Amino acid sequence: MTRYLRLIRIFTGATVSAQLEYRANFIGAVLSSLGQVGVALLAIGVLFGQGSDTVGGWTFREALLVTGFFILTEGFIAVFVQPNMSRIAEAIRTGSMDFTLLKPLDAQFSVSTRYLNVLRVPDILIGLGLIVYAASALTVTLAGVLIAAVLYLSALTIVYCIWLALSTTAFWFVKTQNVAELFNGVFGAARFPVTAFPLPVRFALTFVVPVALITTVPAQAMTGRLSPALALASPLVALALFAVTRWFWLRAVASYTSASS
Amino acid sequence: MTTSQPDASVHVRDLKKQYAVHEKEPGFMGSLRSFVSRKTKYVEAVGGVSFDLAPGEVVGFLGPNGAGKTTTLKMLSGLLHPSGGVAKVAGFEPRRRETAFLKQITLVMGQKQQLIWDLPALDSFLVNQAIYEIPDEQYRATMREFTEVLSLDGILKKQVRKLSLGERMKCELAAALLHRPRVLFLDEPTIGLDVNMQEAVRAFIRDYNERYGATVILTSHYMADVTALARRILVIDSGQLVFDGDLARLAEQGRGGGKTVRLKLREAVSAAHLARYGHDVKVDGLSAELTVPRAEVSARAAKLLADLDVADLTVEDPPIEAVMAELFGAGERAEKEVVGG
Repeated sequence: MTRYLRLIRIFTGATVSAQLEYRANFIGAVLSSLGQVGVALLAIGVLFGQGSDTVGGWTFREALLVTGFFILTEGFIAVFVQPNMSRIAEAIRTGSMDFTLLKPLDAQFSVSTRYLNVLRVPDILIGLGLIVYAASALTVTLAGVLIAAVLYLSALTIVYCIWLALSTTAFWFVKTQNVAELFNGVFGAARFPVTAFPLPVRFALTFVVPVALITTVPAQAMTGRLSPALALASPLVALALFAVTRWFWLRAVASYTSASS
Repeated sequence: MTTSQPDASVHVRDLKKQYAVHEKEPGFMGSLRSFVSRKTKYVEAVGGVSFDLAPGEVVGFLGPNGAGKTTTLKMLSGLLHPSGGVAKVAGFEPRRRETAFLKQITLVMGQKQQLIWDLPALDSFLVNQAIYEIPDEQYRATMREFTEVLSLDGILKKQVRKLSLGERMKCELAAALLHRPRVLFLDEPTIGLDVNMQEAVRAFIRDYNERYGATVILTSHYMADVTALARRILVIDSGQLVFDGDLARLAEQGRGGGKTVRLKLREAVSAAHLARYGHDVKVDGLSAELTVPRAEVSARAAKLLADLDVADLTVEDPPIEAVMAELFGAGERAEKEVVGG
C-alpha cells in the first residue's frame, strides 16, 4: 500500500512537472474552466427563471447543490480520469502499452494514476465552493454531510469504472475518441436533479446509466431526504461495477496484441 | 553464478503464434462490406520454433521483415500469449507476467520509447526506480556505471524531446536496464543511428553482458551489430527457424557451401572463360570474383594460378550480407540447403 502511495506521488510529480513546461496552456485552461461553470449555472438559471419556485420538488438552492456536485465531478474527471483514460487508446495504437504491461506493477493501477491535469483543478475548487454556498442556506446535519461524502466516493468510483470500461474497449477497437463524447453526452443530464425528468427518463438515469447516483443522490443525502434504498444502492453499484470493470480489464489485457514494430 | 540468482536461461519448444487478420477488399464498397461482416483469416506468424540459450549467451536473431522475430521476442517477454508450444525464460513462464519474472527481463524496442517526452530522462529513471523498487544505493551505482559507459554526462538533465535520436536511444537503454535484468530482448536497438552511435550502443551491450552475465537476444538489420556481439545466430524465415549455429558456420553455408575467390589479374580475362573455374563470376576490369565449391578450393586455386597470369589471389568466406541475401532471396531452396546442411 505504501508502495502504491509512493508511486502515486512520483507519477504526480512527473506529470505536474511536465505540464509546467507549457505555461501558456495555463491561461487557456482557466478560461475554459470558467466557461464550463458559466454554462452549468446558466442551465439551472434558465430552469428556474421561468417563474417556478421548485423543479421536480427541488428548490433553487437544493438544485444548486446538484449543480455543485456536477461541477465537482466534471473537475474530478478532467483532473484525474480523462487524462489517463484518453491515453489508453493512444498507448495501444503507438505500442507504448508494451512497456506498461512489462513493468512489475499492476497495469490497471499504472494506466489509471500516471497522469493528472493540474490545469483543471480550479473546476474542483469551484464545485466545492458552490456546494458550500448552496448548503449554507439549507438545513444540513453533520450526519448528512458524512453520508453524502461516502455516497459521493461511491459516485466517483462509478464514474471511474464507466470511463475505464469504455476506454478498455480500445484493446479491441484501437480508436475510441468517441468514448469521451459518449460519456459527456449522457453525463450532461446529471447537472439537474434526476426528479426533474419524466418518469421513464428518471428510471433510465437511475438503473440503466447510474447518472442519478453521481450527483442527485449525494445532494439528497446532504439535505436529508434520501431513501435508504438509494443510500444502499450507490455503494453496492460501485462495488459491483468495480469488480466487473476489473474483470473486463484483465480480459482485455490477456487478448492484447501489441502494435507490430 | 551464485545459487541465489535464478538461472537466466531461455528454453523454447515448438513455440507457435497465430494471428487473426481481417481481410478487406479495396475501395469504399470493400470497406463497407468489411464493416458489416468481416472475413477473418488466421495467419501463422511463428510456426513451431525451438531453441535453448545458456545463461550469459548472446545470440543474433536474424530474418527478413515479417519473419516472426518481433513476435517471438514478444512471446518470450510475456506480451503475447503463444498459440502453442512451451517457453521458459529464467525459469518462468513468460505469459503469466509474474512480478519476479518481469524484474528479471527487459524489452528494448528501437522504434518505441518509454521515456517521458517532456521531462529530462532522469525523471523517467526515477519513475522506473520506484516501479522496480531499486534500492537507492544500487540505483546510484548503476547510474554511475551507465553514465560512464554510455557517456550520458550532460544529456540526462535535458528534456527528452530536445535530445538527438542517438542520445535518446542511449537514455532508453539506460532506462530499460536500470533494474539490472538478467535476460535482455533487444529489438533493433540501433535502428536509425549513425555509425558512432551504433558502436557506442554495441559497446554498452557487450559491457553489460560481461559484467552481469546477462543473456541477450538481439535482432537487427545491421549485420555489424550481430557480428560484433553474437557468436551464435538464429535465422528465422516465414515463422520457421532455418538456421541455428555459430556465425562462421552460417558463412560456410553461403553460396551453396562455396568460398569466394578474388583475383587480381595482369591481363583481362572474359567472364565466360572464368566460368570454367567456378560459378557466380563477376569481372571488373582486372579484378574478378568467383565462387568455388569448398572441397575443391585448393585444386581450383592451383589451376587458376597455373592457367592465368594472376597478380594476387585470395580465398574467403562470402560476406554475411551475401549469405543472408541468398538465404532469403532464394526462399525454399536456401531453406532446404541450410536445413539439410
